[in-house]
Amino acid sequence: MGTVIVVGTTFGVVARQAGLEPIEIAAMSLLVFAGAAQFAMVGLFAEGAATPLIIVTVLFLNLRHLLMAASLRPQLMRLSLGRRLLAAFVLTDESFAMATSYFRRGGTSLAYYLTFAVALFVLWNLSTLAGIALGSTIGEPRRFGVDFAITATFTGIVVLAVKRPADMAVALIAAGLAGALALAGLSTIAVIVAGALAPVLAIFARR
Amino acid sequence: MIWIAIVGSAVATYLTRSLPFALTARPALPAAAARYFEALPVAIIAALVGPAVLAPGGALTHGAEPLAAAIVVAIVAWRRSLLAGVIAGVAAVALLRLL
Repeated sequence: MGTVIVVGTTFGVVARQAGLEPIEIAAMSLLVFAGAAQFAMVGLFAEGAATPLIIVTVLFLNLRHLLMAASLRPQLMRLSLGRRLLAAFVLTDESFAMATSYFRRGGTSLAYYLTFAVALFVLWNLSTLAGIALGSTIGEPRRFGVDFAITATFTGIVVLAVKRPADMAVALIAAGLAGALALAGLSTIAVIVAGALAPVLAIFARR
Repeated sequence: MIWIAIVGSAVATYLTRSLPFALTARPALPAAAARYFEALPVAIIAALVGPAVLAPGGALTHGAEPLAAAIVVAIVAWRRSLLAGVIAGVAAVALLRLL
């Protein structure tokens, strides 16, 4: 929960510093509600990336939800279709991690999962608003290094996500390839090409 | 254009969250595809880091960003804290740019 507040506030600050309007930033947290994807969108907006490219990058970034939803399916199929579609909207890395450990310990209450997931949604949006207010008061972002906050956040997320040697190899290849493509003048397609190619290595990696 | 990107991204994200709940038949995913999808988010986020660290602004850098990124890696690996890493990285970039 604490992480959500910190990352949500950081998102609001960083997006504001990148020049997005408060209403656009608030809409992203309200409608997209996916941390990594929202940070990526801010980075791509700042680079002036084409709209279809932004949407495809977000789609790829969120394909992991397919796996998480498929894994929660046995429990959530007890809900009506309408409630299932609502439950899907608040499915995040955090609520999935919580639900997985809860169901594994023998828990059966879907209200417990839904309350937790909706609380995360509310906190994420409130902390985004706090970040927007905070970000509007800081002048000259480059002087304070605030423009580096997105990159630092991404770097930290990757470090925390690397659990096996294969993960590290995938991350290094993706970063190196994307950097090389950007240097070659292909910065608009660098992220999606490197991001989609590097995980091929994981298919052949030993667990 | 920003609004089209926001609404399009929202629809794309919701599709990835809701498809397995909306379908009646259980989708079977081959093990190889599961491994690919598991590695995908880390790869894309790392791919966002590469250009921002190696070529901020489109040209090769030997300045503040690579050193600050190395500091973020070290701090996050040591403290396991995203916030500590981001604060250290931002402070490092601000200081290095003064030099």
